[in-house]
Amino acid sequence: MKTMQHLTHLPWKELPRRYGAGALGLLIMGSLLVITVLPLIFMVTASIMPSGEIMRMPYPWIPSELAFRNYYRALAGHDESFIFVRNIMNSLIVSSSVTVTTVILGALTGYSLAKFQYKGRIVIFMMIMATMMIPFETIMIPLYMVATKLGMQNSYAGLILPFMLNAFGVFMMRQYYSTFPGEFLDAARVDGMGEIAIFGKIILPNTGPAIATLAILAFRSQWDTLLWPLLIAQSHEMKTIPVYIVQFAAERTADYGAMMAVATIASVPMFVLFITLSRYFTGGAAVFSARKG
Amino acid sequence: MNRKYPKKARTLQQSQDLWGRLFVLPAVLFFSIFNFYPILNALWTSLFNRRILSFAKPDFIGLQNYIFLLQSGSFWNSVRATLVFTAGTFLSLLALSLLVAGLLSRISRGSRFLQTAYYTPAVLSSVVAATIWLLIFDPRGIANQFINTLMNTPGVDHRWFSHPVRVQIATMVVYFWKYIGYFVIVVLAGMASIPKTIYEAATIDGANGWQQYWRITFPLLKPTVVLVSIMSMLQCLKTFSTQYLFTQSGAPLAPINVITLNIYNTGIRDHRIGRASAMSIILLIIMMVFTYIQFKTSKTDEVSY
Repeated sequence: MKTMQHLTHLPWKELPRRYGAGALGLLIMGSLLVITVLPLIFMVTASIMPSGEIMRMPYPWIPSELAFRNYYRALAGHDESFIFVRNIMNSLIVSSSVTVTTVILGALTGYSLAKFQYKGRIVIFMMIMATMMIPFETIMIPLYMVATKLGMQNSYAGLILPFMLNAFGVFMMRQYYSTFPGEFLDAARVDGMGEIAIFGKIILPNTGPAIATLAILAFRSQWDTLLWPLLIAQSHEMKTIPVYIVQFAAERTADYGAMMAVATIASVPMFVLFITLSRYFTGGAAVFSARKG
Repeated sequence: MNRKYPKKARTLQQSQDLWGRLFVLPAVLFFSIFNFYPILNALWTSLFNRRILSFAKPDFIGLQNYIFLLQSGSFWNSVRATLVFTAGTFLSLLALSLLVAGLLSRISRGSRFLQTAYYTPAVLSSVVAATIWLLIFDPRGIANQFINTLMNTPGVDHRWFSHPVRVQIATMVVYFWKYIGYFVIVVLAGMASIPKTIYEAATIDGANGWQQYWRITFPLLKPTVVLVSIMSMLQCLKTFSTQYLFTQSGAPLAPINVITLNIYNTGIRDHRIGRASAMSIILLIIMMVFTYIQFKTSKTDEVSY
């Protein structure tokens, strides 16, 4: 209360100086804040608003009554089959599996490339880095044909396998392990510890922050993936959330309330992760800019 | 290293090498099967007149697919749509992230909060982002209301979907909205690595805020700018979700028929995988050219503090 009073008594001319940026600067930052946050508020408010109100002009922002039926229609779908619930499960299963494999394989590969001296490791690393330039769109059709031949359409294997590991995960882990003190490993070897035990008991447990950053990155990008599930998951049971959303938006363009309810449901896991682990979300950025050292 | 038992040391080294190779093996297999094989396959397929559902033996037609594409108006339209989208999104992201990060680094409080707020849209998936803006750009949606209030033109529909130019702007807005916070944070991290002493010296010499920004921050930020540029350009060249959702929900295809969407429609909807593969190889070449140019320009003068 005291701070509020303090603010209202503040002359507007004083404000820019107080915050160390010019009036124009404050205006720019404020506008960007409005632009970034308002659509989110729109999504949440529209999801609990009767569909008739959403396209009222001007947009009311506060629903006259809470229309939780939107969420029922979002989950039930137009044929009341509740297939969306299954699709949410699919997204959770696929994204979690991809996260686990990316972290383990990324750590294993990064460790091997950073801490062993065998011939050819630099070539292998370069080849893996080169795959970063290959857009998924370029390889999706050959992958699709292979997956079809192996009978992997409409299966979790088909959804998960092509994303088990990625070059960025290898890069990040290799960077991380290259600063890992080798004396620990030598000491463990002298003590007669096996290589697998060293990886499992020394390397992995000491990779906490890097693992968290990579895990979040992997989970998010998988949660976001539309193109591959669109190809490989033709049956309604095996679709993932993004595919369901596209289909829902195309089939029921008029049911805005339910559409925003679908969007909100799809975002809840991400928001929960963001709130609890926000520092690992921006960690990817830090990794990038730390490379200059 | 003077090892006491050279013979034993050698076998130790050999067993070490073996373990290292064993650990890297899964990754080598993975990238071979899911990256190198498909890219070679795409290259090979692009030389054939091949269709998914056809049982006829595909004809080897050499570079015909490429020649066809280079003479096809639809393909050049896709190149145009992709480049326009990339340029528009990339330039606005770069300009605004530099500006806003510069401002944020100067304010004494609230910076952390603003960063988090700007970043929040990045948490959503691309499809969700596109769905929200689908409603915002509706004829009765907030975008029209906002523009009409701003320009004092009540009741005008700015046709965000049916107008060929504005539908492109609409797709750019979705992308910009989703990624601006991320780029602000990357640029801020870059700014934080510039030593404070340089600014202190400049302050003593009497340089004001803007002068410091233009003469110190901006030039020293070059590595970060190059990084942001590569990242955003490569991302934009691969854009798919927004354009796909918009066209599925009734927006006209031609203005926003980006290369990835064209590959999808040609290969999956029309089953012309030879032609789609040729298109995807061209996309790969475009991306490699962009990366090459970026690295070349960044190497010419490295910044050192």
